[in-house]
Formats: sequence, structure tokens, C-alpha cells
Amino acid sequence: MLTAILTACALLSGPGATPAKGEPRVLVVRAEKLLLGDGTTLDAGAVLIEDGRIRAFGKDVDVPAGAGVITHPGWVSAGLVALHAYAGAPEELRDSSRPVLDGKVAWAFDPAHSDFADAVAAGITTLVLVPQRNALSGGSSAVVKTAGARVLTEQAQLSLSFSAAALAPNRYPTSFGSAMAELEQRFEKPQGAFARAKSGELPVLFEADSREDVQRVVAFAKRLKLRGAVYGADWIGELAESVNEAHLAAIFAPFDPGEERRTIQSVLKLAKSGTAFGFGLDSPWKSPESLRLSAALCLREGLDRKLAWRSLSSQAAEIAGVGERVGRIEKGHDADLVLWSGDPLDLKSRVDAVFVDGQRVYEAKKP
Amino acid sequence: MKTSMFTNLARFCALAALVSFAPALQASGGKIVIKAGRVITQAGADIQNGVIVIENGRISAVGPDTKAPWDADVLEHPELVAFPGYVEAHSNRGMDRPNENIEVAPFLDVRDSIDPISFYFEDSLRAGVTTINIQQGNSCVIGGQGMIVKPFGITIEQMAVRTQSGIKVVAGLRPGASRATQAQALRRAFGDLRRYLEKLVQDTRDGKDSARREALFQGKDMDKDENKKGRAMEGSATWKVKDLEIVPRGEIDDKQEPLLRMIEGKLPVFLYCDSATSVGLALEVIRENGLAATTTLVLEGDSWKAADQIAAANLPVILSPNLVYTEREPVTGKEIQTFVPGVFDKKNVRFALQSLTPSAQSLWFQAATCVAWGLERKKALDAVTRTPAEILKLGKRVGSLEAGKDGNVLLLSGDPLAVKTSVQYVVLEGNLVYDRSKDVRVKHLLEGVEQNNAAPTGAQATDDGDDDHKKVPDEIQKKHDAGEKKDEPKKDEDKHDHGGKKD
Amino acid sequence: MNLSLIALLCCTAQTAQQPKTQGDAPRKNWVVSAERVYTAAGRSLEHGTVVVQGAKIGMVSSGSEDNGPETLACYAVTPGLVDASVRINSGALSVEQSREETPELRVTDTLSAYDIAWDAQAGSGVTCVLAAAPDLNVIGGLAAVLKTAGEPSIEKRTVKNDAVLRGAIGSQPSRGNHPAFGRPTDFYSRRPTTRMGVEWEWRKSFYEAAASRKDPARAFKGSTQVLAALDGKLTLDIQAWTTQDIRTAVFLKEELEKEPQLGGKPRLVIDAAAEAWKEPELLVRSHTSIVLPPFPEDGRTDDGAFMAWNTAALLVEQGVPIALSAHGDTSPAGRLSMQAGYAMQGGLDFDQALAAVTINPARMLGVEDRVGSLEVGKDADLVLWNGEPFQATSRVIGVIVDGALVLDPRTKQ
Repeated sequence: MLTAILTACALLSGPGATPAKGEPRVLVVRAEKLLLGDGTTLDAGAVLIEDGRIRAFGKDVDVPAGAGVITHPGWVSAGLVALHAYAGAPEELRDSSRPVLDGKVAWAFDPAHSDFADAVAAGITTLVLVPQRNALSGGSSAVVKTAGARVLTEQAQLSLSFSAAALAPNRYPTSFGSAMAELEQRFEKPQGAFARAKSGELPVLFEADSREDVQRVVAFAKRLKLRGAVYGADWIGELAESVNEAHLAAIFAPFDPGEERRTIQSVLKLAKSGTAFGFGLDSPWKSPESLRLSAALCLREGLDRKLAWRSLSSQAAEIAGVGERVGRIEKGHDADLVLWSGDPLDLKSRVDAVFVDGQRVYEAKKP
Repeated sequence: MKTSMFTNLARFCALAALVSFAPALQASGGKIVIKAGRVITQAGADIQNGVIVIENGRISAVGPDTKAPWDADVLEHPELVAFPGYVEAHSNRGMDRPNENIEVAPFLDVRDSIDPISFYFEDSLRAGVTTINIQQGNSCVIGGQGMIVKPFGITIEQMAVRTQSGIKVVAGLRPGASRATQAQALRRAFGDLRRYLEKLVQDTRDGKDSARREALFQGKDMDKDENKKGRAMEGSATWKVKDLEIVPRGEIDDKQEPLLRMIEGKLPVFLYCDSATSVGLALEVIRENGLAATTTLVLEGDSWKAADQIAAANLPVILSPNLVYTEREPVTGKEIQTFVPGVFDKKNVRFALQSLTPSAQSLWFQAATCVAWGLERKKALDAVTRTPAEILKLGKRVGSLEAGKDGNVLLLSGDPLAVKTSVQYVVLEGNLVYDRSKDVRVKHLLEGVEQNNAAPTGAQATDDGDDDHKKVPDEIQKKHDAGEKKDEPKKDEDKHDHGGKKD
Repeated sequence: MNLSLIALLCCTAQTAQQPKTQGDAPRKNWVVSAERVYTAAGRSLEHGTVVVQGAKIGMVSSGSEDNGPETLACYAVTPGLVDASVRINSGALSVEQSREETPELRVTDTLSAYDIAWDAQAGSGVTCVLAAAPDLNVIGGLAAVLKTAGEPSIEKRTVKNDAVLRGAIGSQPSRGNHPAFGRPTDFYSRRPTTRMGVEWEWRKSFYEAAASRKDPARAFKGSTQVLAALDGKLTLDIQAWTTQDIRTAVFLKEELEKEPQLGGKPRLVIDAAAEAWKEPELLVRSHTSIVLPPFPEDGRTDDGAFMAWNTAALLVEQGVPIALSAHGDTSPAGRLSMQAGYAMQGGLDFDQALAAVTINPARMLGVEDRVGSLEVGKDADLVLWNGEPFQATSRVIGVIVDGALVLDPRTKQ
């Protein structure tokens, strides 16, 4: 019991904790190219890290005495942010016993699970763990670091499922109509996470599959003035206008190499209309590599480079509600960096090393 | 089972109805004269107030001023329209079961399976179909021999127009087999025939007489010329069995003999293709075995996509009852409809239609649908009369009202393609076999008039060939029924295995 | 591959154009010029013109007009067809089955405007339908009248929300329920499992709703809607195939009227009344309207009912308002226009058949002010034909819904 409490404390400990591994407290990382949060690059830039945070970055960065220096012959960027994953506990997150569950994913995952190591090796430093969509509300999602077992946000989003997966023939609700009615009722005199969502404090993660699901989500969000993001509808871009009217963002399921062109076009439509979007990871069912693949496919179809980069990093972080902490090389942000062999949007590039909270958590083996 | 008693009673009622149609006009030496306000001959212009004279089952004269023999019975209806009986080029209804379990079974004959008092024949007659080519169903590799019947008669002999009218070959996908297996089985069937004949030749050369003894055991009269004599292999197949003439024909096993007859071009072939892919296989089989002159393709699904190849091979086709083929555009998801007869018409391929249902959507309905989709009325009507007649090699006997042809005449209450038109009378080979005013079942269908032993309300077994009284175990029944269903294409596994479905 | 090239050529040569529904249908003031104008409003014109103005009908007149490229010519023009029982929905996902009565739930919350079934309906001339939940519950909920084309939004296509209260009498609602042998395994271990159970659920709903007028504590989820039906403000649309079920429905209506504690004035439409031909006098005396199911070839329909082919003619003769329906079928043999043809085969004349697929269902659904006939001021829902409308030799070549050209008769078909 005591161990559990201590572990919990360790998990929930804030930034600035004493580095557990052997990296110097103060570190300067020099890069051939620095990839910044807005998608622009800085030649021969450097990042100054102290106590797990970024203290400064730029072309000329003073190297304090005693600081470690790493010169990387490649690109350095913020760690990737992947939305919508089940890493570390997929079966713990599926519960359709009741229509509305009050759980928090933060209580359910195993930070030592190999899923996280896989994510790190692909350059992903922040993950949003979500409940599965088999209940009307599976609970609340959590934002976690992929190394160091840190939970950034214990209750990041309220998950509401507008997908047919939330319905079952042998328990209430069995139909879309009653599902909507039930949710409306829950928001009438809301409690807990529902109250926080109604007040605008807590964003909502809307699970959807098809365009008609998105239509229902948009109508619902507008009616109850909820904010958040919609996950799972590949062709949501075709409804970009109404998604914007409801001030919602979109999260795409990770793409396969042979992804339907219409889906990629849907991303471009969203980009064109200025809607915020990011990509989910769907781990462990999809490889963490699919995150970069998704962005690369969109690039190939004509997506603006900067937008593509932001969708993997800063914009995704904003959608997850941690845009002030991670996702960009920015003063005060967590020192989550990835050292690449080249441009991360180029699939030929490899992950050479990964830092999370100023600690080197991954080093690629030399071929 | 509970319903079998009712159904049997219904069947007896149908039988009684048939008997009640017994030609009342036979006594006058088989002469009947039909006078109608409009005679559509399907062989030139319509005749106003035309007269059709039928003697000894054949039309002896058709015209506006034809004189009627003094001793003929007269059916005079100026308010009605005369039309030739429709010709159904291919059907597997009316049998107790359309398929057998054996893959290659050319020795089977539908004659042993047709049920004369099946509702199917009554329905066909009511819809004006007077010639039907009954063939085995599509769940085989090489099926049995078919038979052309008229839908009237208590025994099969009475119904027969021509026996052994053709053999069924299936290039299409059979449930339980893959395309590769089906193709292999088809090629092997011909290969087996060749090997069998070659062995027979070799055995005869070696002086073995097992084939002769077997033939005698089977009861063949080996003294008859047709059995005693040998004959070189005929036909235009790409393979020939040398020295076949040394083998007395009677020694060829009955199970293989129909296949040989088919190869030699003496047994017409109805080759079923379920898709464009199978058309390729079909054309290959036709080419290799010299069947081009005797084959008609029976098409289903998207076989029409191979129309160019079919046209190049100069084969006539019998089209699927589903005249409008629907598929989805892969990118936008919109439906694309293709009017299949139009495709073949453009390529000048001869085509015949099949009825969709025995009565309500019979051949008249199919022809009407063609007109709705832009086919010329004349071509639509030909596709249900003249063309099927030609395909069945009955071009000289049925399909139009001309002197010399069979006296198969319909008297309709209006234009054949109008929705309110009904068949009032049917004259079959000069005999009045159907009178709508005496049709007991029509009254029931139209007005719901309860009959003591008419088809009652409540869950029923199927129309034709009901199995209740045969007590077939359910599993076997299911296997057979499954044979008639098309395989549904597998849906793609959805992306969100653990979540929802794609749009 | 060779075959796909052939396929492409064949496709382009012989394909029929598919209706547009994604809001990109061109909208102009169309002029439809036809040799026959069948208005379903009492008159038919030879060589007439219908002019569309915006989303409404601007003019219906004799004489042909040519307005240049905006003139659409055809053999015949009729109002858009109305199907009061189209049965397009999301299947079981459209019905909340944890309760037997869900009168408060709206089927529109469960429908998808992207379903290609709507496109197929529009393409076959059906422009306005009643969308209801499948009859898995005794009382399924509120059904809505929708257009089958327009912007891909159920909301925008809705002509009338809460048009009828849908339910069923017969064996269908009890299918899937089972008595609890030993321990109940799920909520399907419940009543009703028989017809009498179904009827009990109906009567219970009405009696309880009536009681809640005086005692609000007895109100239940959906009692408002049941009360509205009792008071005649919401039409009751009950599916009943067989004679016994039709009788039950009619007697229920009469009980609602006669019982003093109910004091109702319900309006009743019976859907899929296949055996209505057996006792038409019941329908006449109770002022019940009938929606007939598709004509089956051999007379046998669902639930063991038998439908005589002259049912439509018989009922019309007796003065019973009837509508025909196709249950979503758009094939050459099953489409709504062919159902009208079959009704004519059974003795109905053309004008009556036309009414049965246009103004009659519109009236039953309470939307006759907007659809169902070609009259100035009504919605511009028109169907253009290449022949006489209900013949098997004709089909739909053009469709206009709310003034937008959804199927263009000018493209080669």
C-alpha cells in the first residue's frame, strides 16, 4: 500500500525532479538544423537544457560552465506528440458494462510496458492515452510521457462515443437515439467530468466513425457549447465548415501505406479551412512509425510542410491541452527532444537519440 | 410436416384445374380458327382483324382475309390481341430440385425430375409462356441433359417438345469450390473423356472385351447397327481420338456418351458464366472442344463486361433476369447502373431474356423493362419470342405466327407490354389449354377468394417442388439451398478493429 | 487489364446517370415541358408545362413552352412520389430495445443522409418519404417526413418532424423476446412474447398515459407522445399485416374513443395492411387509412398474411384512403411506380393509382400543404418519365427536388 502511494507520488511528481540517470543537469545540444515549433528551421542552432526544461535556444546560445555539450550532425526537434493511443493497457481500457463509466485512464496503464519503449524509439515523447469507445463515455483520457513514467495531465479529456461501437444489442443503449438522449440528460445536471466539460474547463474527445456521426457530434457540441476534438472519421474534412462552426479539432486515425486518397484529401480540406488537426497512434495495434508515415502521405498529396510538422508536434500538443508544456522548442517547455539523422518528415530519416525531460532515454544502435 | 397436407391438396387442385382445361375442341379434327382484333405476328406488320387458321397443331394460314374451313372451331374475339406464345430459353424451375450432388453428371436427364403439376408450369401458362427449355441448375461442372417442354400436360411425355435439348456446362463459380478448382474440374472432365476413349481404342486393339460385356450387362442390344458400328470421331475439337472407328459405338459407356455427343457437335451446350472472369474460361473450353457452333452462353453478374469477346466469338447469349447491373464507384461511392441488353444490342450479339419470376415478372415484363431502358420495342419482343426460338433450334416451329409454325397463340386483353394486359386464352399446338375465366388460382390471387383446398394463408413451402413430403434432413436441404445462393463478396476488415466502421 | 478497359467503355456507353444529392444539384427556374402533365390535383393536361420558381412550383399550364437550355422535355411529368413506408434506417441501431415502448425517441437522430439508399429512392422518382424505426419495439417512436435529396443533412431534409407515432401489432415486436427460463440472461427475457402481450403493452401505454393526465406521478418516458396520439394531435402509424392484427388495431382505436377514462380522438393509419381486403367495412366505419405493402407475386407476404392483387381497387371502391409503398425497393420489378402498375392490374384506374403514390400518402402524413401534387405554391418536387408513368415500359428519366435538378433528363441514358 505504502509502495503504491510512493509510486503514485513518483508518477505524479512535477518537473524539475532530480535527474535519475547520468545526464548532466545542464546540457547544450547543438544541431546542424533546429526544427522549430512553427515548422521553420534554424541552421546551426542549439538548445540549452537545465533541470529538464528548455532554458534557451537559438543560433547563439551561451554555454554555461560545467555544461555538457552534444553536437549532433543532423536535425533536432521537439519530441512528437501522438494523440489517441491505448499503449500499455489496451484491454484495461475497454469496458462496455455500463453506458457511462467514470474511470481515468491514468489509473490503468503500465508505464514499464514495451509499447512506450517502441514509441520512444519512433521519436514520440508525449502520448494521449484514451479509453476505448465501447461505452457512451469510457472515462477520461490522460497525457503521459513515454519515458520516466510521468503523467502530464491526469484528466485531459472527457471521452464521449458517438460511434456505433458504443451501442450493443444486449445492454442499454441499443440505438443512436437513446444514446443521444442519455448524454443530453447527463449534461442537464452534470457531475464530475461532465460538469467540468460543460463549464468549458475540460475538453471533450468525441469518438466517431462516419460523416453522419460527425454531424451528430457537431450538433451536440454546438447545442451544449462543448469544446474538444473529433477522432476517427476519415472523411471529416468534407464537413470542415460545420466542424469549424463548432470550434472543434480533428484527430485522424494513423494512415496505412495504401491509405485511401479520399482520406488524405480530407486532411487537406481541413488544413485549407484552418481547422486544427493531429494524428492518433492507435497503439499497440498500429506501429508508432505510422505517425510520421501519416504526415508524409499528406505531404505527398500537397499538405503544407509546416502544417504537417505542426500536426505531429505543436498543434497536437494544443489539441491535447498541453501546448504550453510540450510540442515545441520553446523557453520553459519540457526538454523533450529528438535527434534525427535528417528531416523528420522525410521517411529516410532515423531517430538517433531521444531526450525526455532532459534525460537521454534512447540512443539508436549504430548500424 | 403440417403444411404438406394443404400443399398436396393445393397441388391436386392445380391438377384438377389443368384437367378442366382439357381441350374441348379436339373433336373437330384438330382445326381451330382464331379471330382477333389485332394480330401481332412477330413476322412483319400487325394485322388488323386478323385470322389464324390452325390445323393438326400447325398454323396453316395467317392473314386479314383468310378463309376459315367450314368444319373448324372458331375462337372469335375482336376485342383481344393475338400474339405468339413466349419462349423461355432457359429455366431450372419446375423440377423437384435443380441440382444433383455429382460434379460431372451428363447422364442425368431433367426428364426424370420435372414435376408436371408444379405451380411453375401453371404460372408460366398464365403468363403466356408456351415453350420452356428446362436445364439443370448451376451447381455443377457438367450437368445433365435438358428438355424443351410446353407447360401443359399431366405426364412428361405429354409436355415434351424435344428431349435431350442440350447439356449444361458451368464455367462460373460454384459454392464450395474456388474458380481455380472449377476450371480444373471442367478441363479434367474433357480430359477424362479423351483418356477414356483412348483407353477404349487401346483395349479394342488389344482384344479386350470388357467394354462389350459391360454394354451387354447394361442391356444394350449390340446387334443394332447404331451400337454395332464404329465411327471416327467427328466435330471440330482441337484434340481427336485416333482410330475411334474401331470401337463399336454401343460399347461407349452411357455415362460418357453424352459428352462425346457434345464434342461431336450433336448435343447443344448451355454454358453458364457467373462473371466476366468465367467468360474467359468458357471461351477457352469452347475453342478447345469445338463447341462454337452449338453453344449458347447463359450469363449472370458482370459477364456483360466481356461482351466484346463474346461478340468476337459470335455466340448467342441468354441474359440474367436482372437486366440492370448495379455496382458502386470505388472512389465516390455512387451507384453505377448498366442496362445489360443494351450492351449486347450495341455489339450485335443475339440475346434472349429470362423471366424474373414465373408470373408477375415473366417474359412480357422483361421485354417491357428493356423498352423502358431504351431498347427498340421490336428487339425487345424478339428477345422473348424469335431469338430464343432460334437459340433452341425451334426457329421453324415457334416464336412467331406464321404458316407452318406450331399453333401456339395467345389472346391478350391488350398490348403485350402494357401493365394491365392479361392473357385471356392460350392455344397450344391447336388446342385451347387455358381460359382465364376458368382459372381457379387467378381468382384467388386477384380477389383472395378462399378455396376449400386452394393455397391457404400461413407459412408455405416454396411454389414448385416442395420438399415437405420427402422428409429430407434439414442439413442436406440447407446444402442444396446454399447451392443456389450467390457468394457475397467479403467486406474489407475495418481499420478500427477495436472501434468503429469506415464511413 | 483488358476486361477493366472493356468495363470502362461499357460503363460510359450504357450507364444511367445517378442522382446528385450532395448539394451540388443545379438550381434554376426550370421549365418542364411534357406531353402529359399529371397533377394529381384533379386535372391532367396534354402538352403542358410546369414552371419551377426557386424551391416551389410557380406555374402549371397548358401549352408547351421552350425556355431554351432550361427547358426539360419529357413524355410525362408527375408530382414527386411519396412513400409512406420506405423502411430505410440504421436497422437495430435505430431502435432502443431495452424498453418495449420508446415513444419519445426520434428516428431522425439515428439516420444517415449519406446512405446511398436515399439516392436510389430519388433516382426511382420517390422524392418524399416517411422514415420510421424498424418494428422491433411495440412502440418504436417518432417518425419523420423527409425529402430523399438535397443537402446531405437529415435536419435540412426534414419536411415534418414527429409526423406520426410508429408502432406495430402482430408477431414482429415479440420476436427476439423470450421468457426467462431460470435466470434472465439479458433484457430480452421479458414480455411480450405473444400477440396478446403486444396488445397488452399498447393498452397499458394508453391507460397509463391517460391516468397521468390527472396524476402526473404516473407519467413515464414517452407518455407525452402517447397522450398526443390519444388526443389525435399525433397520428398513430401501426404496422399490422394480417386480418387479426388489423382487427386488433381497429378495435384498439375504437376502445381509445369509447372508453370514458381514455376519451380519445386518435387518428389511425395502418401500415402493411396486406389483408385489408378481408374486412374493409371495419376500416370504413373506423375512418382508418391504409398503407399497402409491395404486391407479392404469389400473394404471400410477411407474418403469414395473404394480399389479394385487387386489394387497392377494392378499398378505393369502399372509400378507404389508401397509399402504396415499396419498402425501399428500387428494382425494375419492385419500385414504387411498379407497385402502382400492379395496383392497376388489380383494377385501380390510373388517377387512383397516381393518388395512391402522391397526394394520399401526403395527406396521411400531414404534409399535403407542401407535397403530393403539382400545384402552384407547393414544393417543386417533380418526376419526369419517358412514357406513361406506371407502365413497365417506362422509367424515371428526370427528378427535381425542392427546385434542384437531382437527375438530369438531358444526359444520355
